Amino acid sequence: MKIFNLKNIGLLVLLIVAVFLPVVISDYWRFVLTIAFFYTIMAASWNLLGGYTGQFSLGHHTFAMIGAYTSTLLMQKAGAPFWVSIPAGILLTMIISSLLGVMCLRIHGIYLALITWAFAEVVRNYFRLHYAFTGGDRGIDSPLIFGTMKPTPYYYLFLGIAVLAIVLIAVIMRSKIGYYLRSIRDDPIAARSMGVDIVRYKIFVFMVASGLAGMAGVFYGHSIGLISPVMGDFNEMAMIIIFVVIGGMRTQAGPIVGAISVRYLMELLRAQSEFRIVILTAIVILIMRFFNGGLMELFRRLKKWIRRDREGPVSAYQELEQKQG
Amino acid sequence: MRSLSSYPANSGTSKCKQKEDEAIDLHLFSQFLITGIIMGVLYCLMSMGINFIYGIMKVINWSMGEFFMIGAFTQYILLTFLLGADYWYVGVILSALVVFILGALVQRILIKPMFVGIIEAKMEYATIVTISMAIFLRNIAVAIGGPKIYTPPDYAGPTQILTLPLSGNRLVAFIGALILLGLFYYFIKKSWTGRAFQGVAQNRSGVQTAGVNVLKYDMLAFGIGTALAGAGGALLAPIFLVHPLCGLVPTVRGFEIIVIAGLGSIPGILVAGLSLGIAESLGSAFISPSFVDIYGFILLVIILSIKPYGLFGKPEREV
Amino acid sequence: MDDRSNLLEVKNVVKMFGGLRANDNISLQVEKGEIRGLIGPNGSGKTTLINLITGIYEVTEGSIHYYGRRIDGLQSNVIASMGIMRTFQVARVWRDMTVLENMLIPAFTQGLSRREAKSRAEELLDFALLIRLKDKQAKSLSGGQNMLLQIVRGFMHKDLKLYVMDEPFAGVHQSIKGIIIESIKMMNQGKDVTFLIVSHEMSTVKALCNKVTVLCKGERIAEGTMEEVANDPQVIDAYLGG
Repeated sequence: MKIFNLKNIGLLVLLIVAVFLPVVISDYWRFVLTIAFFYTIMAASWNLLGGYTGQFSLGHHTFAMIGAYTSTLLMQKAGAPFWVSIPAGILLTMIISSLLGVMCLRIHGIYLALITWAFAEVVRNYFRLHYAFTGGDRGIDSPLIFGTMKPTPYYYLFLGIAVLAIVLIAVIMRSKIGYYLRSIRDDPIAARSMGVDIVRYKIFVFMVASGLAGMAGVFYGHSIGLISPVMGDFNEMAMIIIFVVIGGMRTQAGPIVGAISVRYLMELLRAQSEFRIVILTAIVILIMRFFNGGLMELFRRLKKWIRRDREGPVSAYQELEQKQG
Repeated sequence: MRSLSSYPANSGTSKCKQKEDEAIDLHLFSQFLITGIIMGVLYCLMSMGINFIYGIMKVINWSMGEFFMIGAFTQYILLTFLLGADYWYVGVILSALVVFILGALVQRILIKPMFVGIIEAKMEYATIVTISMAIFLRNIAVAIGGPKIYTPPDYAGPTQILTLPLSGNRLVAFIGALILLGLFYYFIKKSWTGRAFQGVAQNRSGVQTAGVNVLKYDMLAFGIGTALAGAGGALLAPIFLVHPLCGLVPTVRGFEIIVIAGLGSIPGILVAGLSLGIAESLGSAFISPSFVDIYGFILLVIILSIKPYGLFGKPEREV
Repeated sequence: MDDRSNLLEVKNVVKMFGGLRANDNISLQVEKGEIRGLIGPNGSGKTTLINLITGIYEVTEGSIHYYGRRIDGLQSNVIASMGIMRTFQVARVWRDMTVLENMLIPAFTQGLSRREAKSRAEELLDFALLIRLKDKQAKSLSGGQNMLLQIVRGFMHKDLKLYVMDEPFAGVHQSIKGIIIESIKMMNQGKDVTFLIVSHEMSTVKALCNKVTVLCKGERIAEGTMEEVANDPQVIDAYLGG
C-alpha cells in the first residue's frame, strides 16, 4: 500500500496546519478547538461502535464521565499521581464496558439502545446520588495536568490524543478486524456462518470504543478542572450522534469533520443557544431523511462531479482522434 | 415525619399513645402509597403509547415526552384562552386530538419512508430521527414560549379518600388515566380496528393478505400512541406544570417502565408502572426526596439483573 | 457401520419450537464425497435441519456428529472453522461491502493472508463470471448474482469439507444455475467436497445428487436414489396429499 498518495499528503498538511494554528488564533479559539478535539474522539469512537459495527449504544458519553471521575477521585481521595490515575481511569472504563458488552451480546437493535440508555441513566444518577463520595450535582474539582489555566498546552494534548484515536481507528478498520466489524453490522448471521467470532469482536469493539471515550474523559477532567454528572447527560449523547450524522456515518473522516464543523458553527451561534440546536437537529433529520451520507457524501459527490467534468473533454478528444485515426 | 424507632423503648408512654403513633405512620404510609399508585398509573400512559407504537412499527419513539409536553401546552392554551377552568376535561380530549393529528402527520412525513423501501438501516434511522425530533421540539418550545413555567388552573380542589388527604388534581388525573387506559384496552381487544392492530403487530406481512393497509395503521398507531402521551400531558398539567422540559421526567419514567416490563407486554407495563410509582413515592417519603429519580432505577437494576429482557419481555428471534 | 466413515451423522434429532415439532426424530448419514439431496414439501423441516447442523439452532433432543465428533450445540463460527459452509435460502451477502470484500471474509477467518485471499477470490470470481463486478457493492447485484456470490463465497474456505446449501437454485436464471451446478461438480470431484443440498428442483436434484433424503412434516419418510424415492408411495402421497 502506497504511503505517499494524495490523501495522505493532504492529511499531513492538515496536521501541520493544526500544529501551527494556535499561533494565529486567540486563547478563546484555542479552547474552543480543544473541546472540539474532545468531541472528535467521542464521535469517532462512537462511529466505530455504532456506525461500523452496528452496536447502536446510547451510553457512550457515560464512559467519558466514568473515566473522568475515576482518575479525579483516585487523585483526590487516594492521592494517586497522574501517571497512575490516568491509565487506571482508562482501564476501568474498559473493564466496565466489557461487562456491559457481555450483557448486551444477545441483545441488538432496539433493546441495545434501551439497555445502554438505562445504563447511562443509572450511572449518571449514581454520581448524583453518592454526593459524599462523588460531590453530587455540584461536581468535583479535578487537578489540572499542566497546572495552568492557559489553553495552549491542552490544545496540543487533545490534538495529540485525537490523532492517536483517529490513527488507531483507521488501523483497526483497515485490518481484518475491520472487515469482521462491518460484516457484523451488515448481517451477523452470515458473519457467524462464515466463521466470524461475533462474541469476541463485539466485546473487542466495545472495549476499544469505550476505552477511547474514557481516555477522552480522563483528559477532559484534568484539562477543564471541574467535572460533574452533566457529562453523563443525555444531551451529550445526542450531540455525539449529531456530529456523526452530519459528518457522515460509517466514514472515517465523517465524525472528525462533523465534530469540528458543528462545534465551530455552535460557537458562531453562541448567542442563540436554542436556535442553533433547532437548526442542528433539523439538519440531522433532513440528512437522515434525504441525504444519508452527510458531509462526506457531499464531498464525494462533488469530487465525482468535478472528475467527470475533467474526463468529458478528454474522451471527446479521444473520440475525435479515433475518428481521424 | 417520625418513625417508630424515634421513640425510646420502654419510655413509659402508654400503649394507647403508641398505637396512635402507629396509626399515624400507617396513615402516612397509605397516603404515599396512594400517591405512588396514582403516579404509577399516569406514567403507564406514556409507556402504553411507547409500547403500542413499538408493537405496530417496531420503532421506539424517543420523542414521546415532547408529545406529552405539546399536550400540556395545548391544554394550557385551551383552558386559558378558550374553555376556562371548568371544562378542563374537554381540554384533555381536544389536546389529545391535536397531538393525534400532529403525531399522524409526523409519522407520515418522517417515519413512513422507513417502510416504503427508501430507508435501509431502519432501527438506526428511527432512533436518530426520533431523538433529533425530541431535542428539536424541546428547543422550539423554549424559543416560542420562553423558558417560563406556566400554571394551569386546578382541575379540582383538595379532596380525600377515606380519611387520607389527597390533591384533587391527582385524583382527577388518576381517574382520567384509568378511563383512558380502559378505553384503550377495550379498543384493542374488542373493536375490529383494535384487532386489526393486533394482527399488524403479530404478523405484518400476513395481515396484508387479509386486506389490511398496514401503512394506514402505522399512521393511526403513531397518532394514538402520541395522543396517549398528549392526554397524559394534559391530565398532569396542573401537577407537573407546563414548561418546555415538562416531558423529560415522564419520558424517563416511561422508558424505565418499558425496560422493567420488557417490550410487548401490556400487563407487564401496568405491574411495572405501579411498582415504579410506589417505589418512587415511598422512597421519596421515607428515604429522601432529593433523589426521587434514583428509586426507579434501583428497581430497574435489580429486575434486569434477574431477568435481562424485563419481567415479561421476550428476546427477538434471530433466523 | 462405523461412525467415522460418515462425514455427517444426524442421530434421532428432534427440534421443537414451543409446541411445534419442526424436526421429529430425524436420522441420516452422509458419506464423504456424496452429493446428497434433501427434499420434501414446504414446511417439512428442511431448513430447520440445516440450521441445526450449522449451529443456528440447538437441538431439543438427539445429536449431530461430524467426523464422529459431536457438533450440535457449538457456535456457528466454530462449526464454520471446522470446514462446514452453508448458504441461505435468501442470499445473505453483506450488501454494503463489495463483492470482493464479501469473498475475503471466510478466507480471513481461516487465517489466509490478504494476498492469498485476494488471489483465491479473484480466481473464484473469474470462474463464476462475477469478476467484473468485484468492486461493486453487493447491494447493486441481482438476486441471482447474489445467490451465486453466496455460493462461491463458501468456496473460499481453504479446507472446505461439507457444504450445506439451502435452495441454491430458487428463482435463479438458467445461466447462473449452470455455473452453480458446474461449481458443485468441480468441487465435489476435484476437491472431494461433500454436499447436502436442499432443493425443490427435481430435475436438477436428479441430475446432481447420488442419493436423496425425503422429509415430510418434520419426519424422514424415505431415502435412496431419486428413482427409488420417486416411486415410494409415501413420497407420492406427501407431495400430492399436501
